[in-house]
Amino acid sequence: MHEKEKDLISAFLSGGMSRRGLIKRLGALGLTAASAGTLHNLMATQALAAEFDWKKHSGKSIKLLLNKHPYTDAMIANLDAFKELTGMDVTYDVFPEDVYFDKVTAALSSGSSEYDAFMTGAYMTWTYGPAGWIVDHNEWINDPEKTNPMYNWADMLEGVRKSCAWNGVPGGELGSDDAKQWCIPWGYEQNNLTFNKAMLDKAGVAVPTNMSELMEAAAKVQADTDGIYGIGVRGSRSWATIHPGFLSAYSNFGEMDLTNEDGKLSAAMNTAGSKAFHADWVKMIQESGAADWSTHTWYQVGTDLGAGKSAMIFDADILGYFMNGGDNAMAGELAYAGFAANPEAKAPTPNIWIWSLAMTKASKDLDATWYFMQWASGPEHALFGARKMDFVDPVRNSVWEDEMFKEKLNKGYPGYVDMYNASAPGASIKFTPQPLFFDMTTDWAAMLQRMVAKEVPVDEGLDQLAASMNKQLAEAGLR
Amino acid sequence: MDHMSPLERILRAIALALVVLFFMFPIFWIVLMSLQTNETILRSPPSMAFVPTFKNYAAIIAGRLDSNVASMSIHFMGNLMNSVILSVGSVALALVLGVPAAYAFARHKFKGSEDIAFTLLSFRFAPPLLVLLPLTLYFQSLGLANTYVGLIWVYQLICLPLILWIVRGYFEDISPDIEHAYRIAGHGWFATFRKIALPLAGPGIAAAGLLAFIFAWNNFVFALVLASADKQPVTVGALAFVTASGIQYGQIAAAIVMSIAPTLLLALWAQKYLVEGLSLGAVKG
Repeated sequence: MHEKEKDLISAFLSGGMSRRGLIKRLGALGLTAASAGTLHNLMATQALAAEFDWKKHSGKSIKLLLNKHPYTDAMIANLDAFKELTGMDVTYDVFPEDVYFDKVTAALSSGSSEYDAFMTGAYMTWTYGPAGWIVDHNEWINDPEKTNPMYNWADMLEGVRKSCAWNGVPGGELGSDDAKQWCIPWGYEQNNLTFNKAMLDKAGVAVPTNMSELMEAAAKVQADTDGIYGIGVRGSRSWATIHPGFLSAYSNFGEMDLTNEDGKLSAAMNTAGSKAFHADWVKMIQESGAADWSTHTWYQVGTDLGAGKSAMIFDADILGYFMNGGDNAMAGELAYAGFAANPEAKAPTPNIWIWSLAMTKASKDLDATWYFMQWASGPEHALFGARKMDFVDPVRNSVWEDEMFKEKLNKGYPGYVDMYNASAPGASIKFTPQPLFFDMTTDWAAMLQRMVAKEVPVDEGLDQLAASMNKQLAEAGLR
Repeated sequence: MDHMSPLERILRAIALALVVLFFMFPIFWIVLMSLQTNETILRSPPSMAFVPTFKNYAAIIAGRLDSNVASMSIHFMGNLMNSVILSVGSVALALVLGVPAAYAFARHKFKGSEDIAFTLLSFRFAPPLLVLLPLTLYFQSLGLANTYVGLIWVYQLICLPLILWIVRGYFEDISPDIEHAYRIAGHGWFATFRKIALPLAGPGIAAAGLLAFIFAWNNFVFALVLASADKQPVTVGALAFVTASGIQYGQIAAAIVMSIAPTLLLALWAQKYLVEGLSLGAVKG
């Protein structure tokens, strides 16, 4: 490596130069962005090693349980850097997502010590944490002996970081002062609009900015293009139907799933505001949704958008990101926009899904495992994944400020960065954490199906749903 | 004598063709899908006209999955090999243990024999998830977790009761007089079992073995809970094509074709024995 390049990168790593300045000056030395990235990664690894005893657990081995996901691919692609940095060995099991959480539940509930850390969603930790299967990671984050000084926990997006912390009290505020950090955010998904620009242009429809416009735009674009439907949203009888677009729009109107009065929880989906929102949502699906909406999961929503069978989706931004590439018929045709359903809201407030990492309580060596955790969720790996792989959406502010990453997005994913900027400040988990979460959201989805199928009027359906949920809460001693 | 008129024969042929078409269509459709790219499979409206490609098979054999955003490594051929090892191993063990046991239950009534037979049958009643978590703990302490031996042992919950009870029926259907005659000629019980009972019940044993093989091949949950990713069978491995970045329909179809091929070939090869086996004892003199 040339000394001049080394000096420039060292200056950047020590904070003496901005990213923009670094790229510009490396460019002047004839270095491409890709090779500058590689160089930066190498130097960054050396810099990490210089300030922290990364070799403390050298010779030890840990095992991970991972979901088959682009985040996993990014980690595996960079794993040699961790092995070189620490002298540790890492083995892993990767399981398909359809069975992944069954495997996790089996491993955790049996008290198995086979896996030291695993991928999880923040919602799942509402079960795993109180059951005593995972640890409070604050113990390691706050210990300067165990955590690299460059880890920069505060760099994590606040809404995302707090969404992974809960005090274990049903209805307790996420990220409260007494909250336990059940998992470490790794990558996340905001729920916003991804749309087929050509279809919207053909119908002379502008990108919708609120619920009424979305309903009108979906109906118009469907009417103007043969063989497509206007808006893709999930509809299967599963909790996963509620958490993406639906809850993001719902919470933007200030509506809640549950209310909490002195620790007593009550269903809140039969308020006048909630009923009005549900009526619009149901009407939108009936008029402009997929004919087989009630079977739609992540996969169908994304596949239809990618195949040109739907004009828009109100779902995870990264689903739209994935559908804009590969051998999808609509690759390169999609664009993105933040979406605030409430015309009176100042900004979007997306509910989020967070792929996180957590250490198993049964791990034989939690300190060694934490070395992997802090590397995998650290700024350098996040930057590597975002620039070179498909590690979107990153959970660190510093990565979103990275010019190379932003340039990559701006080039192939129009509107993605603006969408992020508009909605990230309001992005967090909007559900009330409580142990009946999965059962109650599945019931909610089942009731939505009945309302869309016109088996029950919206008002009556929501009253029935609230009564059923209140009964469940009372039986569980939460009401 | 055949008293069917030509019209009846034609109608019968048409009816049979329709039945075959009805049952074979899903397989035919999957084979067609396996020869297409995702883009042609998902086009709207669907069309039967396409340029066939072996890209999906090549990707599976090469172990690289080209998803919407990147190329991922897949281990489907490893999954296929695991299925072969687990299914063949567990059926072989179940035959070695089950056939003599079935003969004993059929021919030698002894105290508690029915209780033991029903206990073995009851293995089939237990919901797998109920026994799997305790088994995980035992397997870890015994060092059997994540081993083929451990899995083949657990697969006996599927194969052993099936083989034991089916083959027992076949042994009971064979007249004991033949065996008695052989014994009178001065042969021992083991020789009688080996030279007389086994050959006579051969087709039945083949049928039971094939059935047990299919059940073992289709099992999903045992390896998922008890083993690591490198020991997973095709039933788990096939799900790897359903990724966050999209469903690889063409590769799923190719994987299905490859995973049903061994069972299909085995069934075709054993067809003669199967027919004999399934009709054994149906006609009695």
